[in-house]
Amino acid sequence: MSVSRRGFLRGTVLPFSESVIAARGMEAYQANAGQDRSARSLVPPGVTEIRISSNENPLGPGKAVLEAILGKFPEAGRYPFNSTPNDGALTSAIAAKFKIKPDNIVLGGGSQEILKNAVRAFTTPARGLVTGAPSFENCPGVAKKLGHPIKEIKVDSLFRLDLEPMIEAAKGAGLVFFNNPNNPTATVHGAKAVADFVIRVRQSSPETVILIDEAYHDYVSDPSYESAIPLALETPNVFVTRTFSKAYGMAGMRVGYAIGRAETIKPLEKLKMPYDLSVFSIAAAISALGDSKHIEAERERNTKVRAFTIKALDEFGCKTAVSHGNFLFVDVGKPAKEFREACAKQGVVVGRDFPPFEKTHVRISIGTMDEMQKAAAVFRSVLRPATTADARRIEEASWR
Amino acid sequence: MALTRRGFVRTAGLGAAGAFAHTWISARGRENALWSAVEPALQAAESGLIVLASNENPMGPGPHVLSAVKAAFGDGGRAPGRYSNAGRDLIDAIAKKQGVKPENVVLGCGSTQILRSATHLFTAKDKPLVGTIPTYEECAGYAEMMGHPVRPVALDADFTIDLDKLAAASNGAGLVFYCNPNNPTATYVGARATREYFAKVNRESPETTILVDEAYFDYVTDPDHDTHIPIAVENPRILVARTFSKAYGMAGLRMGYAIGHKDTIKKMADWDGGTGTGSLNVLALHAGLAAIQQDASFTAAERARNKAVRDFTMSWFAERGMKPTDSQANFMFVNIGRPAKAFRDACRKKGVAVARDFPPFEKTHCRLSFGTMDEMKKAVAVFGDVLAKKANAA
Repeated sequence: MSVSRRGFLRGTVLPFSESVIAARGMEAYQANAGQDRSARSLVPPGVTEIRISSNENPLGPGKAVLEAILGKFPEAGRYPFNSTPNDGALTSAIAAKFKIKPDNIVLGGGSQEILKNAVRAFTTPARGLVTGAPSFENCPGVAKKLGHPIKEIKVDSLFRLDLEPMIEAAKGAGLVFFNNPNNPTATVHGAKAVADFVIRVRQSSPETVILIDEAYHDYVSDPSYESAIPLALETPNVFVTRTFSKAYGMAGMRVGYAIGRAETIKPLEKLKMPYDLSVFSIAAAISALGDSKHIEAERERNTKVRAFTIKALDEFGCKTAVSHGNFLFVDVGKPAKEFREACAKQGVVVGRDFPPFEKTHVRISIGTMDEMQKAAAVFRSVLRPATTADARRIEEASWR
Repeated sequence: MALTRRGFVRTAGLGAAGAFAHTWISARGRENALWSAVEPALQAAESGLIVLASNENPMGPGPHVLSAVKAAFGDGGRAPGRYSNAGRDLIDAIAKKQGVKPENVVLGCGSTQILRSATHLFTAKDKPLVGTIPTYEECAGYAEMMGHPVRPVALDADFTIDLDKLAAASNGAGLVFYCNPNNPTATYVGARATREYFAKVNRESPETTILVDEAYFDYVTDPDHDTHIPIAVENPRILVARTFSKAYGMAGLRMGYAIGHKDTIKKMADWDGGTGTGSLNVLALHAGLAAIQQDASFTAAERARNKAVRDFTMSWFAERGMKPTDSQANFMFVNIGRPAKAFRDACRKKGVAVARDFPPFEKTHCRLSFGTMDEMKKAVAVFGDVLAKKANAA
């Protein structure tokens, strides 16, 4: 089963019409997600685990947020709609941040709830999903469960979402999932490219909804990048998702949101699960929104550690796709599984398989500087010459 | 769309429940629909407001659980930044507590997620949802949203589930929502009668799934009280929902679960489950773990506390000629002889928040949740004032 699935993926080198992939789905996603866990089980007892597998902020949410949570302890027994402030106050705080109206916002239990509901709302057995390969697997996982068609378009040679074939594939599609920066490749498209993409899709397929997932927005350092939120607010059938799980350091608290025109996101509001955010999550998110300096500092920290890690990998002869996230997509020249398991045995847990590149590439999240220094030493030992060609490559690299 | 749905409910109501339905189903919107699934938020709650609107435990989860939440911040307060695998531990702990296997347990973001998943999986355009009128609205609200038919079944004269009527309506149903004790009427059907009902439906409509919502399980004092978990793990057509929002005092944390046959649980987990990276927050997972591992004296104490408050409040109404239903929960349903809205608005002005409307009884009945004894003593003084004024003609 997995062989045939992989075989199908390998077909992405074929002409476009045959490069479309529909055979993967939630099973593959869950199997891949489970790879983190099985790698973690290889960490020897007594060895401090360095977990750089899930694109989390290693520092967490910070003191102000934790205090906001502690402040809500007296309301742990109250439903979120009865707490003070209630979930509506989070919507208002997001509206204030972006200077938009509350009806331009839908909250979710992480952006995952929004992604899931977007697939439910906007795809059908006749109008499928278009996404990148590889890209975040949540949307295709849900489409697969619903039996709705999926077109996965292989990224371009620079590991960016490949715009032309995605535009082509979007004709008649229900939903395009456009992850910018793209997880797991960490590449980004600039504002103009995104705007052109939206215009072209709307010209050739006006009914298609475009979901621009900006989960890693706060980590981008490309000057040509801008958020697509203004674009979404002025363009029907386009919306942006954001999350508190990344730069805000709140992956465990499950808060995300969608922004778009009210009529575009209304179906998401309809499908939203009532009372999906805990009173702690609401308080944490409101507190986090009020602390933009914390995000600035996190961006700077990540940029610095990212540069260090890219350089270290480069010195071992491993090339990284240009990263604008808190993670790297790296050519380690061997199967991700082999690399992952070897690293885990030394306490470093890296990302799951990302077909069609699971034979060569691995996704490495950016931990703290201390963690990445230790991880780099582990990478070095694992990548140490398996073949003479590798040996030469690394030796040459070390001369430079 | 909304109109169609409303029209459908009207049709279903007339079909299944007969003439009683048309007298109270009119062209209400989703907010005020037959089953309004969404609880209105309190208007800015002034401090000191006595909240008797949402069947919460006024004591909260207690220091043991809150300490576990604080401990879950982890080293340097970093843990909330991580996706959590603690769901597996919580599933194991629930399985141990309930005497089942981990494969019999699925977690949910409150029991809301459980109710929605079950409705999603087991109803269809040709497989109606069956529920009493009134009952907790989540399943019916979701079915309506999906465009799946809903068959309402009237309660009996004591505001208790009418098992004969329910069994008749269950024939050919996709899912029966069996809320016991029933919210909002607080009445309870004994374990033996419930088991007989299950057997009848299994026999006469073998494809029908019954979702037994035991949200208020820990508050029941009826002598014929028992959980249906042991049946559920053996029978793929019976599923039990539980929540940490009621006796465990964790409504704000959003944690619930279902227990059932492993095949049924797998269906639930495959559709919208998992162990934590979805909608379950890490603090709630750790709170749930601490809560479920407490010994039984925690729920026993909460049951006793609630019963004392319940007896006090129900007597107060009975002594004034207003007969509450036989409450086995942490709330009561009482005929106040006037519209709930008028009563609610008047109480709110005096610092007491009581529950929303529950059609078809919104012209006469009100649901009151039990606060602390101190809160209820203050609240009945307010009720006394409000009810002393002559009711406006409805």
